[in-house]
Amino acid sequence: MPVVIGFEGSANKIGVGIIRDGEVLSNPRRTYITPPGQGFLPGETAKHHRGVILTVLQEALDEAGLKAADIDCVAYTKGPGMGAPLVTVAIVARTVAQLWGKPLLGVNHCIGHIEMGRLITNAQNPTVLYVSGGNTQVIAYSERRYRIFGETIDIAVGNCLDRLARVIKISNDPSPGYNIEQMAKKGNKYIELPYTVKGMDVSFSGILSYIEETLFAMLVEITERAMAHCGSQEVLIVGGVGCNLRLQEMMGVMCKERGARLFATDERFCIDNGVMIAQAGWEMFRSGHVTELSDSWITQR
Amino acid sequence: MAACKTENGSERKLEFFLKVPFPSEREATIALQSLSPDPEPRKGGITKNLDLSGQTLSVRWTADEARILRVSVSSFLDHLSLVMETMDAFGPPVSQ
Repeated sequence: MPVVIGFEGSANKIGVGIIRDGEVLSNPRRTYITPPGQGFLPGETAKHHRGVILTVLQEALDEAGLKAADIDCVAYTKGPGMGAPLVTVAIVARTVAQLWGKPLLGVNHCIGHIEMGRLITNAQNPTVLYVSGGNTQVIAYSERRYRIFGETIDIAVGNCLDRLARVIKISNDPSPGYNIEQMAKKGNKYIELPYTVKGMDVSFSGILSYIEETLFAMLVEITERAMAHCGSQEVLIVGGVGCNLRLQEMMGVMCKERGARLFATDERFCIDNGVMIAQAGWEMFRSGHVTELSDSWITQR
Repeated sequence: MAACKTENGSERKLEFFLKVPFPSEREATIALQSLSPDPEPRKGGITKNLDLSGQTLSVRWTADEARILRVSVSSFLDHLSLVMETMDAFGPPVSQ
């Protein structure tokens, strides 16, 4: 059974994961967290990843109880994502692949999320809602390819939430979205207009609840439309925003009304991680694809 | 610093050379293959060429402006360090 190691670092998370025959052997990860009010920029993010990637790689091997010689293929995120961090991770993946004499597998980040979601939940042929800081798409598998049925026409939903967190200076630790969710839980008033002023005071949890409800209702609508189009009875949510329990709850209500099943994973696999790249790499490898070094360039799109 | 003009008025680009010796030809090749696939982030105003000669990796840049050159060389040196650290931690290369 091939043992695949996967490297992921397309945004502010750097993860290295090892998988063997659908069993996760290790999946350590580090997150580059910026102070409240600041987003993460490519150069600083790449610098963060450079500083920790070899440590995380060693951790992945140690936790799995494996030596380098036990690895059969090296998967890494070819794209999409931020250029500088992608290059940093690709360079290490290429180097170890050559040092160890093993084939290289350039993986699409979005497919990594989907394949991991499928593996963990055992969903057979779901309509996929992929929602994260960098992506918002409704995806279904049709005629041998994953196809995008709907997507954001401007920014990703996670990006919207992250920018909101930045404006009102919510902490980025462990992630802005998580902190928005915790604060929104305390809101119990759905307000039509996001303008909440009480005398000299302001209230923000109402705005956050409003934002969440509206954004998530939009996502539920397009997912439902894709399901109707494909005649699908399964929904799989992947990507960092998929951790949000309110989104899962709202999607669950829609699924129940349609007699469909909802699948989601926890933060280990929703949030960017190395083993999802290893899993997608394994799927590539077993269908006979490898990535030649000269074709292993990263791509932001 | 803008590109210099020679006496006959043609623009001369800035050039930068780097030579990096490796313990073996194999390791120099690994470094080359790890560092060459990605395109320069900035499309215009800079070229970068990597070459191998025995155990030595050589890199040659030409650029229109010092600022662009500095960024590219600086990035490359960061990436080169990363390759070398990776080789130190996870090498030597297995026998082929």
